[in-house]
Amino acid sequence: MNEPMIEIHHVFKTYPSQISALSDITIEILSGEFAFVVGPSGSGKSTLLRILCCAERPTDGDVVVDGMEITRPGFKKIHQLRRRMGIVSQDFKFLRDRTVNENVAFALEVTGHTRKEAKSEASEMLRRIGLEEREEDPILALSAGEQQRVAIARALVNSPPLILADEPTGNLDAKMTLDVMRIFSDFNNQGTTIVFATQFTGLIKRFPYRVIQILNGQILNGKKEVVNEIREVKAGE
Amino acid sequence: MGNLFPNLITIGIIAVSILIFSTFTLLAFNLTSFLKNWEDKIEVIAYLKRGTPSSEVEPLLNKTRLLEGVEIVRYVSPYDAMTFMETKLGGQKNLLQGIQPALLPPSFEIQLKKDYRNSARINEVVTRLREMAQFEEIQYGQEWVETFSALVHILRLTQWILGGLLLIAIVFITSNTLQLTISSRREEIKVMHWVGASPGFIRVPFYVEGLIQGLLGGGLAIFFLFLLHQGLLLHIPPSMQAWLAKVPVLFLPPETIAWIILGGMVLGFFGSFVASMRVLKYK
Repeated sequence: MNEPMIEIHHVFKTYPSQISALSDITIEILSGEFAFVVGPSGSGKSTLLRILCCAERPTDGDVVVDGMEITRPGFKKIHQLRRRMGIVSQDFKFLRDRTVNENVAFALEVTGHTRKEAKSEASEMLRRIGLEEREEDPILALSAGEQQRVAIARALVNSPPLILADEPTGNLDAKMTLDVMRIFSDFNNQGTTIVFATQFTGLIKRFPYRVIQILNGQILNGKKEVVNEIREVKAGE
Repeated sequence: MGNLFPNLITIGIIAVSILIFSTFTLLAFNLTSFLKNWEDKIEVIAYLKRGTPSSEVEPLLNKTRLLEGVEIVRYVSPYDAMTFMETKLGGQKNLLQGIQPALLPPSFEIQLKKDYRNSARINEVVTRLREMAQFEEIQYGQEWVETFSALVHILRLTQWILGGLLLIAIVFITSNTLQLTISSRREEIKVMHWVGASPGFIRVPFYVEGLIQGLLGGGLAIFFLFLLHQGLLLHIPPSMQAWLAKVPVLFLPPETIAWIILGGMVLGFFGSFVASMRVLKYK
């Protein structure tokens, strides 16, 4: 029986404008699990992922990630938490004046790798993601889809035990989406826990992983689901 | 390149602030050195009452020698005093024509031990000398010593008050300039936060930047102070040069220079520390 990687207990998130983004969320994701978080735009998927990586604090509730009580008052080990996870966010967060390789290698450099090691490992990851020919190009010279793959490469390059991916295939075509999904699957097969937020239900039909459905900030179900039972949820439904 | 201008401004302001502080330090250093020189030569002259029998001179001399703080006592007879005055007047010694040595009072020239050559302790010796009835008057340049000591004291006080104010100014300026630098690199810092860089990894380059700014500012200040010092020496009127040969205008000693530069570095570091505490919170 695997240990829990993520434990979310009765989490609420209300913004100052009184908009409720999450309401009484309770989920447990085990170590080595692949979990899709599915819901329409604005359903609370990104907020949930942002809470998991400490980019936001919940209004109420407890969250434990990789054994760290991240909602404990005075929790200051955010950098240690983030070193244990790879994050793919929707806004990529790149160093705009650097090359593709430098952006990926940066994640290794800040965690103590030498520049040479980092460059070499970044090259290898870019090769796996199919961007080896663009690695010396400026990051801004890449298309949105290519940039998305660079963001994925940067999240995976450290081989972290947990990956939080927020719409990582949003800008990719169908073939590239499948290629990227295979890479995520490979990492998951090696024991990496993956939380994959998406609004495209097509993916979950093709990849039979656990599905957590979220709508209007509430979990519709968080248990192991049969792919065929997933409803096509739409905003405001 | 975008950070060059704020960095140059910070270095310039640190340099000007430290230059002001070290100018006062140099002034105080020279005045203290002058006072110390003068104090080393300080002696007390005790004039004996006219008509003091010569039989009393020797016992009085011995009694004075035994006073605490007294190192050497020399008896100056009226004849010795006349010879001294003639030597001092040189070519104009004819001014002393018609003056009999007997008119001059005999005196004791008293040299003090090193610890007693300052305005506070000299008074202890003088008080005891005044208790001896055979002395008519005691001279030791009291007012001059006290005024000069007060002047040095005021200068030192000004130096430290000014130093304190400049210290706050330097920390404030360095911290604000570094905030500009940090702000210009906010994208990189955001990415560092995102990929798990430790707070030390993010902050240390800014601390180093503050240290370097302080080092360059302090170094420039000392360089300009040296130029000012040399310029001043070159433009001293010839009439003052002979006098200055006896009282040289010194530059700051190497250890003081090292302390000033180190102080600049500490201030630069502290400024960057304040800035990083304000704007480098982990998000």
